[in-house]
Amino acid sequence: MPSAQMMTTKGKEGLRRKLIVSMLLVGAVPLAVGLAMAFFQGTKEIREVSGTSFEALATETARKIDLILSDELSKISQITTDVNIIQALEVRRDQFADYGDEALQALIAQETKEWTDEDPQLVQRLMKNDLVTTLQRYDSGTYVDQGHPIPVITRSATRGLFITDVAGRLIATLNSNVPYAHSHEPWWQGAFKKGVGQLYIANVAFNEQLKIYTFTLSLPIMDSLRYQVVGVLHRIYDAKEFFSSHIDTIRFGETGHVMLIDGNGMVLSCPVLPTGTRLSDPQIIPLVTLMQNGWTPAPSDGHGGVRSSIIGFAPLPTTSRITQNSTGMGWHMFVWQSSDELFAPIEHLFTWVAAFGLLSITLLAGLGYLAASRIVTPIRRLQEAAKLIGHGTWQEPIIIKTGDEIEELADEVNRMNTQLAATFAGLESEVETKSQEVQYLQESTAQILDSVPDPVIMLDQEKQVVYLNRASKEAFHLTDTGQLKGKSLFSILETDSMTQQKIGKEFQSIGASSTGETPEMTKALNGKAGGLRDPLQQVTGQAAASDRQEIRVNGQIYRYQWFGVRARPGQNQEVGLVFRDVTEESRLQDRLIKEEKLASIGVLSAGIGHELNNPLVGVIGLGEAIQDEENPSQIKEYAHSIVQHGRRMASIIRDFTGQATSQVKAQSSEVNLNEQLQHALNGVKETYDAVSMDIQTDYQDLPAVMGNPQELSQAFVNILTNAVQALGDQGILKVSTTVREHKIQVTIEDNGQGVPQHLLPKIFDPFFTTKQQGEGAGLGLTIARRIIQKYEGQIQVMSKEGAGTTCQITFPLSNHHPSGKNGGTS
Amino acid sequence: MKAFGSGKVWRVTLCTCLIMAGWATIALGGSKDTPLKGISPEKVADYVHSIIEADRTVYTTHVVNRMKEKGIVQTDEHWEQQNALPLPAQFLQRAGRLVAERGSGIRYRLISLWPIYRRNAPATEFEREGLEAVTANPDMPHRGVVRSGKKEYFQTIYPDRAVTKACVDCHNTHPLSPKRDFALDNVMGGIVITIPLE
Repeated sequence: MPSAQMMTTKGKEGLRRKLIVSMLLVGAVPLAVGLAMAFFQGTKEIREVSGTSFEALATETARKIDLILSDELSKISQITTDVNIIQALEVRRDQFADYGDEALQALIAQETKEWTDEDPQLVQRLMKNDLVTTLQRYDSGTYVDQGHPIPVITRSATRGLFITDVAGRLIATLNSNVPYAHSHEPWWQGAFKKGVGQLYIANVAFNEQLKIYTFTLSLPIMDSLRYQVVGVLHRIYDAKEFFSSHIDTIRFGETGHVMLIDGNGMVLSCPVLPTGTRLSDPQIIPLVTLMQNGWTPAPSDGHGGVRSSIIGFAPLPTTSRITQNSTGMGWHMFVWQSSDELFAPIEHLFTWVAAFGLLSITLLAGLGYLAASRIVTPIRRLQEAAKLIGHGTWQEPIIIKTGDEIEELADEVNRMNTQLAATFAGLESEVETKSQEVQYLQESTAQILDSVPDPVIMLDQEKQVVYLNRASKEAFHLTDTGQLKGKSLFSILETDSMTQQKIGKEFQSIGASSTGETPEMTKALNGKAGGLRDPLQQVTGQAAASDRQEIRVNGQIYRYQWFGVRARPGQNQEVGLVFRDVTEESRLQDRLIKEEKLASIGVLSAGIGHELNNPLVGVIGLGEAIQDEENPSQIKEYAHSIVQHGRRMASIIRDFTGQATSQVKAQSSEVNLNEQLQHALNGVKETYDAVSMDIQTDYQDLPAVMGNPQELSQAFVNILTNAVQALGDQGILKVSTTVREHKIQVTIEDNGQGVPQHLLPKIFDPFFTTKQQGEGAGLGLTIARRIIQKYEGQIQVMSKEGAGTTCQITFPLSNHHPSGKNGGTS
Repeated sequence: MKAFGSGKVWRVTLCTCLIMAGWATIALGGSKDTPLKGISPEKVADYVHSIIEADRTVYTTHVVNRMKEKGIVQTDEHWEQQNALPLPAQFLQRAGRLVAERGSGIRYRLISLWPIYRRNAPATEFEREGLEAVTANPDMPHRGVVRSGKKEYFQTIYPDRAVTKACVDCHNTHPLSPKRDFALDNVMGGIVITIPLE
């Protein structure tokens, strides 16, 4: 019952837990999925929105800077079209026509030195001339349209403004800190462009004289016909000052800003990074220096941060075309905001949603617990009621008012309870009737068993007594039958330990058998084994009792029989023992056995005498012949025969004692079976004087057999003797040898009276014989088989009563050595 | 596909320029080594002009139009950035720059009284008068000798007509164009050829 309660409790807790878990899963899984999707989608959208916005900002800023630069170029280009400047430069050009190259180079070298040495005259000439005045007017805005003044920032960012002639020599400058000769400078060569002229914007570079990062605009000054370049106007700007007022002011958020970079990733202007530095991550440079607008997720921010970021970019359209023609790279706007700040809203949202999610899950768990309790409580009441009904306890109607299926279930349980009560009422009377019948059957069975004169004992699986009939109590002198139940079988059967062991084994075998019937039972049921018995079989008194299923109790001998009883459903099988008092019968049988033994000894003695008598007769006869024989050679032959008969008698005696095997085996040699067979046949013919017998021999060529020739001859003599005795004076004896299926086969066949079928299995038993006393001891075939088996051969006897007997002897070939031919037919 | 088209165009452009430059070198160089008596600068300018016109016509007809018809590549003002073909006018100007960069002395430009970019406006009063003259009388080139410092140059200004609809459409729709009522075969500007007289 405790386990049942535990299971019930587990079931209730399990149902409640399942309900709560189900509700949590229903609520939490969609919540988690929704949260994840919202986070990823939000991140994606923020990335796209931010990227698009950054691209737009980069594009607009690029256009703005581009316009500023274009306007600056436009204003500077006015200087290049100034007639005075052009005329002055045309004059300079014409003057060069009078110089040779060497003279010109010498002049440039000399004036370069003078400029470096700050020669007053040259300084005066280059910084205080009409062209300088013109440059100052342009620089101050005097020549600029009223509506388009030069911005203050542009003027303040200017670090140099000067003009060179067609030889690259300085001819007018507002600042003294510029070199004199420029023909080797890339910007000069780019602007001069072999006299054709081209606008040139140089990259931002560190100016060693000004100690700042600068960029330059170089414009060719064409002659009055715009035929060829006569000079170059060069303007140097502080890059940071020029761009910072337009770029550094564009900030959004805490980290968002705009920066201007060139195609190599060098910073021209940035509110964070100093001008002239390069982006920290070279990988992002090719991503953001494309010649079209766009945005891209980048593995870093270019400002030293390693977190991925969103970068918007756009080239300066017009300026980049010029810089590409000039230096091969464009200028690009770069808009960036820290990822932490960029994704802060979605992370904030995620945190809030996660918090609400946790709160929702907690609410779900609480509500789930309440809901599960409301569902589980009435189910638990129903379960308790069902359990009581199951136990047969009357149950008052269950009152559950949930208004749902559970209430309907309670009503059904109440109806079922009512119907069960009515059904049980009818069943009880029926059970009472059946119980009375069972009691009657039990009592009648007990009476029947008590009336049986033989003791009957019923045992359980533990070998304990569960029933004793009256005959048992009387036979085994049992008085207090009430206390005997449950006791061990051997506590009421006082037997020796060997018998107890035997009965215990039988009990175990019965217990293992499904039917409860064992060979011992069958044997007991069939009674004593029938048929012929070996009169010389070694039988002890206990062994005889064992075979007879007998036990000795209180001086009485009982034959017992096991029987099984069908087990009741759910109970173990019971085993019964029936005893029969066979004390008198057993004594009679033992006496009979003793008498048979005596008779058998007589038969044995006669058989031994017969076996020994045959050679003995021969010895006597030969002895008499010797007495009358005068021929010494004949006497010698007779003596030889006497020795052979003597050896045979010794061999017979050894066989009786069973001590010959090892000795003989040591004397093994190659034996010609045909010879030994013929020799044995001659001996038998001589012994039994079988003159009128038709003897047919068929010897095939045989390989030699390893063995003792005397033993093998003995075996053949014994078999042939049986055949001859079976034939009597008339009949046919066939002796043949052959090799078949890798075996040597010897067949001895007679057409005598044959052996009854039921005796065939016993013909090899020692001292078994069907002959009259004095004709044989029953050892011939026993000895023959022992010898044949000794040399790994087999003997088989087939016989049909009234038709004759065939004996087949086989030897394996593998054990034989080849020998010469020796055979024939007679 | 566009890259292939662009490369092809470039080869055509380069060949054309080389032919022109080679011709100019032969023509002018020949006059230096073995003076060709009786060939006036007017004739030289006419020869050069005919080559310029022919090259541009070949480019327009057999490159631009064919590429457009086959949908391989279009023309675009920002052809370098857009991976497109130069406009015929840009072809002429770029070729003129190449000729100038070779240093042979002869140069030519495409100018207009209504230029989209100011750099293509007449540089001198002579050029302005020439444009006005050829606009009024397209069959008569405007010729004369001009000076830059001590240098003298012979200049001829030839009328440049709107030979295709694309020329008219571009100038009439370009946001920087000062005149937007051009019609086919109108004189939109002129080709000025400058030959130094040395």
